[in-house]
Formats: sequence, structure tokens, C-alpha cells
Amino acid sequence: MQSVTHLVHAYKIAPWRAQRQWIGGFLLAVVVLTMIASLYLDVSAQAAIAGREIQDLTSAITTTKQASADLQARLASLTASTVMEQQAIALGFEPVGPEKVEYLLVPGFSRPEPDILTSAVLPQLSAPSIPPEYTQSLLEWFAGRFIASYVQGSYP
Amino acid sequence: MKYTYSLRAMTLAGAFGLVAVAIIVRILMIIYSNEAATFRQLVETNATELRTFYPDRGEIYDRNGHLLAGNQTVFEVGVNLNTIQDPEAIALAASVELGLDFDQTLRLIKELKACSEDGNCETTDYAQSIPPNLIPADGLSLDFVVLADFVEAENAARLQQLKVAMQEKAEDGAWGVLNGLEFKSHPQRTYPEGSLASNVLGFVGREGRGYFGIEEKYSTLLAGNPVQVVVPTDPNQAIDIPHIPDGTTLVLTLHRDLQAAAEQILDEALSDYGASGGTIIVMDPRNGEVLAMAVTPRMNLNQFWNYGVIYQNASEFNPAISMPYEPGSVMKIMTMAAALDNGTVTSSTPFFDTGEILVGGAIIKNWDGKAWGQQDMLGCLQHSLNVCLASVSTQLGAQSFYGYMDNFGFGHLTGIDLAGEAAGRLKVPGDGDWYPVDLGTNAFGQGIAATPIQMLMAVSSIANNGQTVMPHVLHALLREGRQYKVPAQYAGSPISSQTAQGLTEMLNISLLNESSMALLPGYRIAGKTGTAQIPTDTGFYDDFATNASFIGWGPVDEPRFMIYVWLEHPTASIWGSETAAPVFSSMAEKTVILLDIPPDSVRQEIVAR
Repeated sequence: MQSVTHLVHAYKIAPWRAQRQWIGGFLLAVVVLTMIASLYLDVSAQAAIAGREIQDLTSAITTTKQASADLQARLASLTASTVMEQQAIALGFEPVGPEKVEYLLVPGFSRPEPDILTSAVLPQLSAPSIPPEYTQSLLEWFAGRFIASYVQGSYP
Repeated sequence: MKYTYSLRAMTLAGAFGLVAVAIIVRILMIIYSNEAATFRQLVETNATELRTFYPDRGEIYDRNGHLLAGNQTVFEVGVNLNTIQDPEAIALAASVELGLDFDQTLRLIKELKACSEDGNCETTDYAQSIPPNLIPADGLSLDFVVLADFVEAENAARLQQLKVAMQEKAEDGAWGVLNGLEFKSHPQRTYPEGSLASNVLGFVGREGRGYFGIEEKYSTLLAGNPVQVVVPTDPNQAIDIPHIPDGTTLVLTLHRDLQAAAEQILDEALSDYGASGGTIIVMDPRNGEVLAMAVTPRMNLNQFWNYGVIYQNASEFNPAISMPYEPGSVMKIMTMAAALDNGTVTSSTPFFDTGEILVGGAIIKNWDGKAWGQQDMLGCLQHSLNVCLASVSTQLGAQSFYGYMDNFGFGHLTGIDLAGEAAGRLKVPGDGDWYPVDLGTNAFGQGIAATPIQMLMAVSSIANNGQTVMPHVLHALLREGRQYKVPAQYAGSPISSQTAQGLTEMLNISLLNESSMALLPGYRIAGKTGTAQIPTDTGFYDDFATNASFIGWGPVDEPRFMIYVWLEHPTASIWGSETAAPVFSSMAEKTVILLDIPPDSVRQEIVAR
């Protein structure tokens, strides 16, 4: 029994075992740090990608607006007064004289005022704000959470 | 054995420790070195850039939503001198697609490429063309040179396709790569209707400034507010992109088709009557909305650089608002309105016309030099008798007459929202160049200068039951998705409602009695012709040249339109009754059709039901 106790004691104080414990602890710390660093890198990369996407989308919005304005101007050119008149004449229409105009009384009808005139009255959306997930660093997030919980704890 | 192992371990640990300390020391030295500080400063300098966001210029529409002024993308085509490989190929492509001179382009590129390499750019022709204040203190560094600007999208696209095609061939070993040819897009003002309403719209120069008309008057609104934002260049530092509101979009009171009809009728009138110029304005007398404003000459706004070729001075761009002239007998309406309102005369007040009258020491005669005998005020208007109206104005008295003219707006700006309006001239007693005879001549529109828009505003008080409307061309503003309607504004009531209605009836009857060419079948019209002699530089009037005018409105019982016609120097006939009056009738005919105004009989039938 005593020899067993000695054996266990000898095992516990064996130098290689202490070294393994130190190495294990060190490796664990390295792994934890690596994980945190990886996480930080991942978040930073995602933020960078999102930032680049925002820049691309902003550029796309500008391009689309330009294309829209170009198409609008082209449509207006194609439907210009002189063009429409020439097309009407080519199709065999002719200007109407007042003697040919017939007026019909439509009860309850009133001519609408030209109040809403263009597609430009559609509301323009303001630029969307970027959520903090894409702009905060991990440290800033930790700090934010810590301060928030501290403030909540102090001033319930 | 154990000792040796321990010593070795200690030695190794010590060595590694020393290396680690050395590395840390070195890192600290690097971090706090002067070079590091320089790099940090460089990073801070380049980490952000101040970017100016220019909003798109607001569009301009007519009252029915037809685009009159918009924006289109054009390109600046240039050469990056750091990446250019084959100057000959670029010069050739630019000459074929952009119409540039090959030799000149090639010389420019080669000269600037050489200067970008040796740094001696100040002696180049290109550098010498740059204003000295734009050259940096540390010298001129050329990296990019503009070959052509405002290149249309189609031409730029062809050039871009050529660049891609040449790039692909260059990879196969072919010659002629267009590396270095770069394109930068930017907006340019475009006017889809060309010259339509050019006098109202104005134009935007290449520097983005508005000239004339709406483009100048509302330039600040249309252009919007540029916003400067500090933008990080690091995408990791993404920030909220600021919302840059576009420039305000404007909706005009103009009716595009009515404007086109007015311009067509005016052009035909100039041809038919041999007039040197002309103006037609159509206005709603109820609210002052200008529905059409046609003038000659007009210019294609998409080729605004021809301005100097078409116009000799700025007042020719829109004579309707900026060219005062002696309006002639249309002014008799105002004299009669003042006298009726003042109670000096009534429509049936008798007047015996002897063919001449002495006012201020000068003899005033009728337009035909004849005596028309017994008349009443209706007859005076119907036959447009100068003697009668001069008599009326003298009975009215200078103080009262000029008081009314001032209230009608003569000598003042109407306040129309177009750039370049002129105030005209109303001489009054006390002015150095006013003489007593002016009281007589002003009564029939000589010796007084007014613009067509002033005449319309003044006469609107008669067409609108005594209330003067302020003419305007802006119907509504569209900004941030909201529409703001511009309310009608009134400039007082110089005469009573009864006076206005009575005078309207008189003018309607006088047109009917003389079977005027201004009449429009089916509609009761009120109006007056004007034939004014033109003063010469010597101070006398030209015996042969006249300004022919007609102002009228209808339907008389419910006015929906006012039309002013002015023909300059008609040669087919000098009389307004034979030139301006039929033009008025043609314009009124188009107006009732395009504005859906039924004939009087139909309207009365509708009211009766």
C-alpha cells in the first residue's frame, strides 16, 4: 500500500508531468489567442467587404441614376412636339379645326388640375445607415457591452 | 548529465531571450523612428479624402409633365500619361471617333508624355495654356491630359469598344493597344425639345451656370447644394454615405403643345406679313400663368454656343420681357379704363372729332389724318381715334392719368420669374424729358415704352374683373418627393370690377362692329389693335416702319386666355388690324382647341343644364 502511495506521489511530482502541464497551459493560451485573433480578423474582413460593397453599390446607384436620366431624356426626345407632329401627319392625321370639335356634357366630370405631374414626385429614400456590426471592432463591441451593462447596473 | 542538460537549456533560453529582447528593442526603435513618424503622417494624409458631391441639376417640365430640360451623361476622354503605350494608336482612334486632328493630337500626347517623364512641363504649349494660378507651387506635374470633353455617350461607347477590341488583339501580339485612354462620365444639360420655348428656358453653359430665362432665374434651386464629405479610403472604415438631394425640379405653367403652336403661327406670320420679328404670349388672366411665350429668333438650346451668332445683344433673347417698345393704340385700352374708372367719361359720352387736337403746344392728329365727326367713347375705341383719346387723357389730367398708369404697372417690372426683364419707361411730370404733349401722345401709346408682358399684366386688370395678376411661369416645385405649388399673386386692383366689365363689353362690340379679323367664330372676344410708329435715332418717327400689335381675351363672360401679338416692322401691311389681328385669331383658335374651351353656345348650354 505504501509502495503504491509512493508510486502515485512520484508520478505526481515527475518533472515531465509538470512540463506537460506548463506546455498544455501555454498551448491552450495560444489556441485561445489564435481563436480571438481569427475572430477579430474575420470580423474585420467582413467589415472591409461590406465597406467595399457599399462603395460598389453607391457607384451602381450613381450609374443607374445616370442611365435613368439618359433614358428619360431620350424618351423625351423621341416624343418631342415636332417628332409627334411629324409622326401624326405621316399616319394621316391632320390638325382639327374648332368647327370639327364636338363637346359632350359628362355629368359630374371636372377636369383634373395638373397637380401631380411627373414621376419625380416618388419619394426618394435616404441612404440606409450601416449597422454597427459592420463598423465596430471587437474591442469596441466589448467596451460597448461592458459600459452598457455597467450603466444599467448603476442606474437601474 | 542532468546538469549539462540544464545548462544547455538555460543557454538556449537565454539566447532566445536575448533575441526576443533585441527584436522588441528593434521594433520599438522602428515604431519611434523619424521614418515611422513620416509614414504615420502619410497614412493620416491618405486615409481620407475630401470629396464634393454635386447633386444632379433639377429637371424642367411643362404643365403636363413633358420634359423640357433634363440631364444626359457625356464623357471626358483623356490620356493617362503614366500608362500610355502607343500614342499613334490613341491619336488615330481619337481622330476617327472624335474627329480630332491626328497630327495635333499626336504631337500633344508625345510632348506631354516627354514632359511627364523628364518633369520639364512648363515649356509645353499645353502647360502654357493653363492659367498660372492653377499651377502648383512645386511645379506642374502632368499625369492626365484631356483630349475631348462633352463627348456623347454613343461616341464614347464606340471608342471604349475599340479599346477593348484592340486590347484583345494586343494580347495576340497585334499592334495598336489603346492603354492609357480613359473615360470619365459627367452629366450635361439637354433640351429634348430643341429650340421650343428657348426664350423661356434659357440654357446652362459648360461650367454649369444658367443663362437667361428659368435656368438663370432659378439656377440656385435647380443646381442644388453641393456637399463636401470626408470619405475614408479604407473600405474597412465604411461610413454612412450622405444623402445628397438632387436639385429642385421645376414644373412650368407652359403648355408644350400651345407653345409649339404659338411658335408655328408666329413663324408663319413673319413669313406672311414680312415682319422682321415678333412675339406671341398666351396667359391665363385668372391667375397670371403664362401658357405660351413665343418669340423670334429662337435658338437650339443643345447648341448654346451659337448664342453669339444668333443674338446681337441680351435683350434679343426674350423680347417678350426684355424689349420695351412704344405699343401704340393698344394703350388706348388703359387710357379708356382710367377715364371710365375715374368717371371722366362713360361709354356713351359724346365726342366730336375734328381730326386734330392741340396738346402742350403740339397738334395731334388721327392715324388717317381725317376727322371722324360725332362719336361716342365706343366709337373712339372702334375707330382708334388718337384725337379722342388725347382729349380724354387731358380731361383726366396728368396727375390722375399717370397715377392710373403707375397702378397698371407701367414703368415697373412685372416681377415675372424670368431673368432679364426690362422695366420699360413711363415718363411722368417732373422728369426732365417729360413735356405736356406727352399727356396726349401717351394716351394712344406713343412716347411710352412697355414690354409685351407689361401690356399683358396691365390689361389683365380688365380681363380679370379689375384685379391685376402677376405673370409667372413657375407652376410648382418638386423637391425631396414633395410638390410645392406656386400660388397666383395679384398686384392690386387699379380699376373697379364694373369698369373692367364695361370696358370689356365696349371692346367686344367695337371688334364686332368693325368685323375685325381678330374675331373667332363661336366665341365672344374683346381686344384692341395697335399700330405704332417707330422712333428713330434722330428723335423723329419713321414714316414707313411700324410695330403692329393686338391684345385680346376671351371668352368675354368667362375669360380663360389672353393673347398678345406683336409683329415688328410688317411689310405686307403696316396696320395691326391687317397683320396682328388675324394672327391673334389663329392663336385664339389653337388655344380654345388645346385648352378644351367650348364655344359660348355650348358653355351656355352646359350652364343652363
